Amino acid sequence: MKIDENQSVKTHDESGESATQNSHSESRREFLKTSSVAGAVLVAPSIITSGIAMAQDNGPVKIGHLEDLSGNLAVYGVQKDHAAQLAVAEINAGLTLKGGPIGTGGAGVFSSAATQPPLMGAGTGDLNYLDDGGDRSNETVAFVEDDEILVDSGDDGILGRPVELINLDGQSNNNIWQQLTRKLIQGDKVDCLVAGFTSAEREAIRPIVDQFNQLYIYTNQYEGGVADANTFCTGAICEQQVIPVVDYMVKKFGPRIYTVAADYNFGQLTAAWTKATAPLVGGEIIEEEFVPLSESNFSTTIARIQAAKPDWVFTLLVGTNQSNYYPQAAAAGLEYPMASTVNMAQGYEHRRFSTPSLNRMHNCINYIEEIPTKRNRDFVKRWYKMFPDDPYIGQMAQNTYFSVHLYAKAARLAGTTEQEAVKRALETGMTIEAPEGAVFMEPATHHAGHWIRLAVADENHNVSFLREWPMITPWWLQRMGVNLVGKKEYKQYVPDEDPYFTMFSN
Amino acid sequence: MDLVPLLVSLLYQGLATAAFLILCSIGLMIILGMMNIINLAHGEIMMIGAYVSTILVSSGVPFFVTLPVCFIAGCLAGYLIEQLFIRFLYDRLMSALVVTWGLGLILAQGTLMIFGPFMPSIEIPFGSIQYGDFTFSVYQIFLIIVAFGALLGLHYLLHKTPVGLKTRATMQLPEIARTIGIDQHRMYSLSFAFGSGLAAFAGGVLAPTTTIAPFMGTQFVAPAFITVVVGGAHNIITGTLYSASALTAVKTPVGMFLGSFAGTVGLFIAALVLIRLCPNGLSSIKVFRTS
Amino acid sequence: MNLLKLFFGPRDLGRTKTSGLVFAAFALMLLAVPAMVSDYEAMNFAFFLVNIPLGLSVALIWGYCGVLSFGQVAFFGLAGYFYGMVAGNMVGIPGSEIIGILAATGLSVFVAAILAYFLFFARVENWIIPVITLVFTLLLETFLSQTAGYQWRVGTVLLGGYNGMTGIPSMRFFSGDPLYGYSFYYYALGFVILLFIGLRLFVNSKYGLVVVAMRENLQRTELLGYDVRVWQFGVFLLAAVLASFSGVLYVQWGNYITPTQLGLVAAAQPVIWAAIGGRSSLFAVSIATILMTWFTFALSTQGSQLSLVFIGAATVIAIMLFKDGVITSIWEKIAVLFSGSR
Repeated sequence: MKIDENQSVKTHDESGESATQNSHSESRREFLKTSSVAGAVLVAPSIITSGIAMAQDNGPVKIGHLEDLSGNLAVYGVQKDHAAQLAVAEINAGLTLKGGPIGTGGAGVFSSAATQPPLMGAGTGDLNYLDDGGDRSNETVAFVEDDEILVDSGDDGILGRPVELINLDGQSNNNIWQQLTRKLIQGDKVDCLVAGFTSAEREAIRPIVDQFNQLYIYTNQYEGGVADANTFCTGAICEQQVIPVVDYMVKKFGPRIYTVAADYNFGQLTAAWTKATAPLVGGEIIEEEFVPLSESNFSTTIARIQAAKPDWVFTLLVGTNQSNYYPQAAAAGLEYPMASTVNMAQGYEHRRFSTPSLNRMHNCINYIEEIPTKRNRDFVKRWYKMFPDDPYIGQMAQNTYFSVHLYAKAARLAGTTEQEAVKRALETGMTIEAPEGAVFMEPATHHAGHWIRLAVADENHNVSFLREWPMITPWWLQRMGVNLVGKKEYKQYVPDEDPYFTMFSN
Repeated sequence: MDLVPLLVSLLYQGLATAAFLILCSIGLMIILGMMNIINLAHGEIMMIGAYVSTILVSSGVPFFVTLPVCFIAGCLAGYLIEQLFIRFLYDRLMSALVVTWGLGLILAQGTLMIFGPFMPSIEIPFGSIQYGDFTFSVYQIFLIIVAFGALLGLHYLLHKTPVGLKTRATMQLPEIARTIGIDQHRMYSLSFAFGSGLAAFAGGVLAPTTTIAPFMGTQFVAPAFITVVVGGAHNIITGTLYSASALTAVKTPVGMFLGSFAGTVGLFIAALVLIRLCPNGLSSIKVFRTS
Repeated sequence: MNLLKLFFGPRDLGRTKTSGLVFAAFALMLLAVPAMVSDYEAMNFAFFLVNIPLGLSVALIWGYCGVLSFGQVAFFGLAGYFYGMVAGNMVGIPGSEIIGILAATGLSVFVAAILAYFLFFARVENWIIPVITLVFTLLLETFLSQTAGYQWRVGTVLLGGYNGMTGIPSMRFFSGDPLYGYSFYYYALGFVILLFIGLRLFVNSKYGLVVVAMRENLQRTELLGYDVRVWQFGVFLLAAVLASFSGVLYVQWGNYITPTQLGLVAAAQPVIWAAIGGRSSLFAVSIATILMTWFTFALSTQGSQLSLVFIGAATVIAIMLFKDGVITSIWEKIAVLFSGSR
């Protein structure tokens, strides 16, 4: 629950800033600000005191950025490249995103709030409205987002050193990816590697990353499961996206689900998640269909869906060929409500396809350009000021943007760019205020907790938001017993290793 | 589930798949049958057609008016490619294959750099009709008519007109054709341009059903090649027709009852088996061959 | 002595003893690469060598035998996967890597034999072979792409679906260290040079003469009493062996393989190398393979969107300007300069 009461936040912000006028420590400022609020008691971790202004290496801090700038995947790679450029430009201009090792969310404020949490669709079955709430009260602490997230870092670049972005082109070609990764790690000796769109690209370079214990940030949404002491995954994963959207769809449209998924790792694993979690929220998979990535004609799939008569369709379709499904299904008069975890937020299908191909498409995402908060509008403005010709800012671009800032914060916290120290700093439970909302780097699994929103497109492809979950932490790897702080691992877990999932596989 | 609507749906799916295969392969078939050139830029020529129609539609031209423009644009592109590159390569056909691969790469990446990663797609015209549990896209039915219509038109052109006679003569016995005064190189230029025009037309007519992106051509290449090989080069029309029908007869029922993956694998395996049984293509099994 | 004569035989560039000096110079240059670059650059450079057998396999089947195949990447990929399955299940056993190489090559060639039976004993028309080998490759790619999950495993090794098979063991000799950097470079170089010499001896032998005869005129060769079906079948298997070696070297280099290696884009690569270099010369194709893979890599480090345009343009220009391939044409120009004759 979130209640707008910006006025009081401002006050606290200002007092926070003024208290830290002479401080060069971003983290200390966070600490002071927070501690001035509502009697919150926070203990500064001792790591913070370990000297920001320590000995500085010479030369720039090198961030290696590897994405596909040409070829089939360039549509996503160029966006991410621009995101990294924007973040590096901001860091070099002495700016940073708010946040620090203080846990989840912004500061609490006094505000009016309901004494009872409001209920969704109580009695009426209509989930679009909050229709039963309590009386308002003036005397409570509520959670609120800061409007301004880009603040003075009190630093030039990172630790007084300028940041240099080394951005290379993977050409949508795995061999090139491996070669360029070696070049970045061994040749350029980058301090941090930010790379990877597809899981195949990530798996191609992860062995090299591990060979040299390179600090590596993977910013894509993916199927989940990577437990790697050198890798930090800042994209959303299955447990953050699948369960919320399936829960909503089952309650709103009915339990019978038809899954159409791309026939490769991401599609199969996400489908497995859907199959295993649908029963928890009262749904059932009546049929699963896997479509080869090369398929571009969907008349058979459409007929199969019509024959199966589901309540709604879960589409996990990936890539240029497969997005043909939407216009073809619309033309064939297939009018089932749809849900997905991939479309809209990555390839902006709602902007590209003619209306109403994506009518009633529901998607749980951690970022989409249309998010109406002030912090995001400002981010979008900053972006298009720097890159006026870009078509769209996708989910992964935002992830790359805050990830680069997150690295800068971690390096400042560690007081050095020495990679083991920065990895330890990233494992202190850091939060960063990203355009989407607060993002929490969960130390044990190296995955990020996200602000998840359920976005829906209407018949004119306008996006609106039905639900928000201000923080869903990644929990599945914890369930599998992963604790990368205590025990280093370098593998990717798959749902088949979890006895719960094998109950549903056939 | 009622049986009759299911059968109607299967027939519709089959025809739709066959139409897709025919549209993908028709331009390629002409170039291959006529000149023995494997045109690896075929997908990119189709992409040009799709881009032409998309750009025109977004600037207000009605969709159906753009289709002839696609054809003309494809002809021009094909003519240019033939004049600038292919005509120097008639004595080394495999080099033509490599050159068309390079040209395809330039066209696709060039399009990416000029027009960006995606174009907004064209709205699919017409809407849908319902029968039993199934609904059918009227535009898909239109595509079926267009595909078979194009084959018929081509049949007429090749078998009932003087140009067609010359074309067939050049196709079957180029040397004899030369001796009776047919300008072989002119025929080649024309057929390359015409084949490219048809490919671009097919790209344009398929554009509403696909994603408009620079590398969209690759999705057409594999189906096009498979159809062409199974059909063989003996007779363009019957080859394409038989091949598209045979492949569809495997893919559609398998896909309907076992899922898309099985359908795709079935298509590939059917192609391999058909070629083993009938090495010169299905068009060669015509019973009443005059030659 | 006899072997030396065979080496400088008529069916490749460099028929004189003086050209032996050029070969020696090239070999020395390749041997000296590690002295000039760092460990990781040697590893990246090794990638260019790893591809040479694949290029040679296309040269053999297309340039010498006259049968264009887009399917060489299929045997490349199969061998890579088979090596991963065999060696990956025998981790820690001394010599398992060498068993892996042999088993992978054998299995991959077995698959090639089945395909070749369909192709050559059916006597399909020549122009169909490129397309049907392409279909075969795409079929394999489609199959491998959907093999994610636990049900797709061989022993302890997961096939890995579209994301690929990971953790494939590096090359080691018995209980030595895994080869990386300089050591892997020399291993790959030795492998490739031996293959090159062996293949050159083969094409210059009397068997090579039959192979070339089939390219020139299949019917006449048959009328001379050779069963061309068996001969084409045999050459196809030999080419599959070469492609398999490349595949094994590749997974030993990157410890990793994905179905994309068998895709449409990958399938065209070795054909392009062969065409650019000059397909009926083993030497020219080897050099072109190194140059083209290096060119692709060099462009990617520029971080520019133009790289694919440059690769396409270079291909078109090379083919348009050099009828017999860039390397062959240049070599022959120089040879004329030096000796006045070829």
